[in-house]
Amino acid sequence: MFSFLLRRVVAALGTLLLSSVMVFLAVQALPGDVATQVLGRDATPDAVAALRKQMGLDQPAWERYADWIKGALHGDFGTSLVTTKPVGGEVAQYLGNSALIAVVTVLFAVTGSVVLGVVAGLYRDRWPDHLISTVSLVGMSVPEFVVATVLVLAFSVTVPVLPAVVLYGPGAGVGQLLPAVWLPAAALAIVMAAYIVRMARTSVIDVMASEYVTTARLKGLTTWRVVTRHALPSALLPTLHVIALNVAWLVGGVAVVENVFNYPGIGKLMLTSVQNRDLPVIQAIALISAVVYVVCNLAADLGSMALNPKLRTRGGRIR
Amino acid sequence: MSPLMPETSHGTAPAAAGIPRRSVLTTAAAAVAALGGSAALTGCSGAASASPSRAVPTHGPAGRPDRGGTLRIARPPASDAETLDPASALSAYEYLGALYNRLVRIAPDGTVAPDLAESWEPDAKATTWTFRLRRGVTFHDGRAFTSADAAYTLRHILAKATASPQAPVLSPLVDPGRLRTPDAHTLVVPLKSPHAEFPSLLTHYNCYVVPEGSAGSIGRTGIGTGPFRLASFTAAGPGRVTAYADHWAGRPVLDAIDFYTVADMQARSNALLAGQVDLLSQTNLDFATARVVAASDRATIARAENAQWYVLPMLTTEKPFTDPRVRQAMKLAYDPAHILKAALQGAGTAGWDNPVPPNDPAHIATHPAHDPEKARHLLKRAGHERLAVDLYTSSYDPIFTPMALAYQESAGRAGIRIRVKTAAADSYYTQIWMKKPLMATYWYTGRPVDQLLNQVFRGGSSYNETAWSDKEFDALLDRARREIDEGRRRELYGQAQTLVVERGGAITPMFADRLVGISRKVRGYAEHGFEFDYLHIGLKGA
Repeated sequence: MFSFLLRRVVAALGTLLLSSVMVFLAVQALPGDVATQVLGRDATPDAVAALRKQMGLDQPAWERYADWIKGALHGDFGTSLVTTKPVGGEVAQYLGNSALIAVVTVLFAVTGSVVLGVVAGLYRDRWPDHLISTVSLVGMSVPEFVVATVLVLAFSVTVPVLPAVVLYGPGAGVGQLLPAVWLPAAALAIVMAAYIVRMARTSVIDVMASEYVTTARLKGLTTWRVVTRHALPSALLPTLHVIALNVAWLVGGVAVVENVFNYPGIGKLMLTSVQNRDLPVIQAIALISAVVYVVCNLAADLGSMALNPKLRTRGGRIR
Repeated sequence: MSPLMPETSHGTAPAAAGIPRRSVLTTAAAAVAALGGSAALTGCSGAASASPSRAVPTHGPAGRPDRGGTLRIARPPASDAETLDPASALSAYEYLGALYNRLVRIAPDGTVAPDLAESWEPDAKATTWTFRLRRGVTFHDGRAFTSADAAYTLRHILAKATASPQAPVLSPLVDPGRLRTPDAHTLVVPLKSPHAEFPSLLTHYNCYVVPEGSAGSIGRTGIGTGPFRLASFTAAGPGRVTAYADHWAGRPVLDAIDFYTVADMQARSNALLAGQVDLLSQTNLDFATARVVAASDRATIARAENAQWYVLPMLTTEKPFTDPRVRQAMKLAYDPAHILKAALQGAGTAGWDNPVPPNDPAHIATHPAHDPEKARHLLKRAGHERLAVDLYTSSYDPIFTPMALAYQESAGRAGIRIRVKTAAADSYYTQIWMKKPLMATYWYTGRPVDQLLNQVFRGGSSYNETAWSDKEFDALLDRARREIDEGRRRELYGQAQTLVVERGGAITPMFADRLVGISRKVRGYAEHGFEFDYLHIGLKGA
């Protein structure tokens, strides 16, 4: 168990370093640098020179990157080239706003989809199953920004109960952001839930057909007891992985949806930073995304072990 | 597996010499925008055949506003580093007209009108200009406005550290060390060379007057003499200005204006449709979205007539556009009326390759007629009988691609093969503009004729997007500057326009009306060029 964890942590650190290098190279490959991007059409040679000086861009890029890595190892993520604010504080603020969406999304998506998936599995090939499967297939196929736009039209324009966009900046309080969280969270939850529903349904069907469930039924246990005590723990195992991967996907999905809602979150910060070629900010966000991804995968594996006694003894992993 | 994250961007490029930043989502939202945003659901497509007059109103609601109220404006951010310093390339454009005044401004008829200067006169040779300044004007911090502030403002624009986009326009003319202030209400500007149109150069939105000694703080304080004073400001975030009761021209109608920053154009229109904001600034709604807005019971469309001009600049330093016959053929080959109809549903004016707007007093209306046969003939003589060129476009502005496709079709009838290529929006103005031989772009109208021709067409100017360098044209501009007689000066600017049309590299198919989304409660909205009437705009029943 301990050696397994150690291996995973070392792999995770490698992943982080590699992603940081890849992001750096990708940003270097983008046309334009931060000074020309920020000035756009006003990027006359004089103006660009003045801005570069102001941003301290006179050092070569890889040297600045090396400095950034050194700082990052000490927990100092440098300052944004554009706003000159410390990256750490800025990213934390936006991240907190996104966490609000993420928590609501995961709560909705996970509870809703597990329930729906189990119902679909238990009523296999009957109308509840058909209904749930069809709807989740639609949810899967429609991109999140379309879902978001439809939700805006329904709940902000036609029946104006929720705000269509967030008009506050990143410094907004939870109270100000709360009304604006529901639509982006719903948009993400719909897309995310579709995958989990299908996985939950499949594994419930598999488990319900297994021998030990048949045995439990023959013992005369009620259906409810069979499902909750015998079938569900095994059925949720493969579902956990899908949930974890979907939570990791949230990091990306959130960028698209936050833009539609002008939500001051990490996704929107990433968009503007990439457009501005603001390397320190992009790097910090990339690291956070990678951490989320690694942690989600690790959590999925540990969860599998906790639910599967066979794995705990062998210390192996489901492939 | 989970959906892949579409790659998105909302390219915001600054107002180059007044190109406002517009935000675009390259993939995701662009797809929705292509469906007309909310029109995606109402089933109307971008290629509307209805006449614009029927589908989209030509002006906002008429009538007078009530006194008071707070107007909510959604705006694109200038950049994450935007500032309230009017002279900066990163100034937060919407705040400027509310907080500050200039010495002079542009009247709706295109002439130079008084603002903080009540009158101005040149000497006999137009080498020295004297401005008589308004008395009894105060800054928001209570200080009296004097000639020292006016002189300081000019020096601040010209200072190297400011890196103002207007500095290259003024520095060849003004020596900051020679400005004179004989008394508190007189500013004397000696010029390095005669310039009979000099005051028009001070109408630019980089030329708002700031208090003496404020260079280090003005970006945050926003202290000016304008109708509103700053209550709060966050770069690329929300901000608020409140009515300044002691404003020299009287108190504005509104009590306050809230500015909200919304980078994505789609999100901006959604905010208007949902009743969260009252006006979309620097936003030219595409026709499909405009129809949805006009059909809403909360919002409608107002127009800023001929607010933008669209250009397909040919780089005259790149083959085949080095040959003036090819440039002429590219212009004669297409029909502006076709592009106006296809790309703008007629909401604008045909440009006929003359960038000087129709309402400018110096505008000349004569132009060669659309003549595809002559275009073929010219190409044959130039040895480019089967001319095929790439035309770059992007989702930076919703009109670029429709315009490029309409040009492709129109020029195709004259045998010119255009290949339309789409580039990324976020690096469009750093990688494509002034680098590719042919591309689609636009400018906001509102520059006085002298600044327009010198800034965009004069050899060596940093905004000369066609890299055109024509000695005869440059000499005409110099002569016009020395010409004291207004009639003769206009004639010279007319000749200069003729050269731009006949020899220059800019294909200018059209001027476009800006379709401005406003709430149905808004009254007294008036905007032309870079002039927004902050004094008289208000709300009804708010």
